[in-house]
Amino acid sequence: MLRYALQRISGVIPTLFVIITASFFVIRLAPGGPFDEEQTLPPEIKANLEAAYGLDQPLLVQYGRYMRGLLAGDFGPSFKFKDFSVTELIAQGLPISLTIGLAAVFVAVLIGVPLGALAALRRNSASDYGIMGFAVLGIALPSFVIGPLFALIFGLYLGVLPVAGYETGQPKYLILPVVTLALPVIAYIARLTRGSLLEVLRSNFVRTARAKGLSPLRVLFRHALRPALLPVVSYLGPATAFVVTGSLVIESVFGLPGTGRYLVQGAINRDYTLVMGMIVVYGAITLLSNLIADLLYGWLDPRVRYD
Amino acid sequence: MTAILAVDALSVRYETPDGVVNAVNDVSLEIAAGECIGVVGESGAGKSQAFLAVMGLLAPNAKVSGGAKLRGRELLGTDPRALRELRGAELAMIFQDPMTSLAPHIKVGDQIAETLVVHKRTSWRDARAQALKLLEQVQVTDAARRLTQYPHELSGGMRQRVMIAIALACDPVMLIADEPTTALDVSVQAQILSLLKRLMRERGMALALITHDLGVVAGLADHVTVLYAGRVVEAGTVRRLLKQPAHPYTAALLRSMPRIDASVSEPLVAIRGQPPSPRELVGGCPFHPRCDLAQPRCAEERPTLRSTAGAMVACHFPIAASHGDLS
Repeated sequence: MLRYALQRISGVIPTLFVIITASFFVIRLAPGGPFDEEQTLPPEIKANLEAAYGLDQPLLVQYGRYMRGLLAGDFGPSFKFKDFSVTELIAQGLPISLTIGLAAVFVAVLIGVPLGALAALRRNSASDYGIMGFAVLGIALPSFVIGPLFALIFGLYLGVLPVAGYETGQPKYLILPVVTLALPVIAYIARLTRGSLLEVLRSNFVRTARAKGLSPLRVLFRHALRPALLPVVSYLGPATAFVVTGSLVIESVFGLPGTGRYLVQGAINRDYTLVMGMIVVYGAITLLSNLIADLLYGWLDPRVRYD
Repeated sequence: MTAILAVDALSVRYETPDGVVNAVNDVSLEIAAGECIGVVGESGAGKSQAFLAVMGLLAPNAKVSGGAKLRGRELLGTDPRALRELRGAELAMIFQDPMTSLAPHIKVGDQIAETLVVHKRTSWRDARAQALKLLEQVQVTDAARRLTQYPHELSGGMRQRVMIAIALACDPVMLIADEPTTALDVSVQAQILSLLKRLMRERGMALALITHDLGVVAGLADHVTVLYAGRVVEAGTVRRLLKQPAHPYTAALLRSMPRIDASVSEPLVAIRGQPPSPRELVGGCPFHPRCDLAQPRCAEERPTLRSTAGAMVACHFPIAASHGDLS
């Protein structure tokens, strides 16, 4: 297991390096630059600005400078949010995005796996159809529909939760975003769990477990569930990355000051450093959640560790 | 003789959207203490279904009727909890495919020990110590190391030995072996069979050996029951049955087996046609469409299992002992 873990971990740094390098050059391929606006700046001022940010240097020099800064933990200054460094912007927004993203994944596993298991155990019953019906809805309805709907019901009609906004240290502002974000993940996990548990329950080793005279609960928890969770875990890696980084819609619906908006605004503004900063952070999050999924996978299935 | 396991008029049927499937029809058999009974038949003859029914391991949509008593205690239709206490303890079963029959994520030693922990309330520590002894008994090499290995690190033969160790953990009075050697190499087959034979002797355990291989039966079984289309067509001692088969199906099965002492020029005789699907109901004797000795009566009236001249046979025109000689 240790060797397997080290092998997986050692793959992360080179991958991140490739992501950063490729993104750095690809962004520059897009036409325009940070100082092209509707009202054109006088060429001298533009040249001065570019010189101040080092944009007048050859691309490779800029790349080397950026990478050096990155190693020191410096993402550089933002071109558009003039008084802030990218590090500051990310430090402000990331905790919120991370919190709602991770909370959503946590909630989704906690609810999705038992729901899926229940549906599998009571196959073709009312509860199975109910859960699977809910799952289809959860997957089909986009979050920009569910989000405002929740805000309407719980914020306006019932008045129990704030409609939108955020105040530090007030978790009630995060409940609706987390639930909205978690809903499709719950639905997907429930479907995955159901399908894979049904398959495992038909497998020969579950028959062996039953032939040993084990109780149904023991058969389920000790013999069937762990192998059945493999597809869920492999889904969870990309899903966590997606939920943490892709909460842009949720953040705009609920007016949360997360990082989602920076990526979009940064890209539109050609705010190179901000976009790069977001890519580095999101890339790292994606790699990290996939790494955790890989390690979990190895723990769940001993056969994986030796490949 | 007192029967360890007495199966009485056992039937298994499935109601599917495509019609009723009769997997096992009215099967009765008895197994005495320390005896090995061979249960023989082609694929789909209902061998496994009958014994899975006895174990209570059939799919929930299976409809089981009839009876099965283990040392006088009824197994069918009893409280699942009571059945679970017998299953794996007094009545154990091993399966055809050792490659997929062990849990991939649990260490081999723990899979053996678990049976002891559950049935005998042994501590895990003691159960693991016993698991080591069991592995040695089933002749697993390097047993101490195997305990902490996972199934995928073991060969097929080793895994079947582990399955046997799991089945033997609680000292069952009755072991059901469902094609235990079919998935294994020939040399490993022989090892597993002689292991089963030795364990049976040592422990006085009864063994039901489900197989389609009459050679396996010849080496191990005392009695044989031949199933065809979910019914018993012939039963008797292995000596009599192999020497003087009374049912034309048994005789045909024997003729279709390669023999080491036959001359090379002698062709193998295949049984013509296909065994009937359990979905279709063949009128009369289920074997008559494939039987060389069939008479008009065979298509009309189903023969019942009756005793004739030392053989139990379900045939209107059993092969008489005088010309039962296989020529």
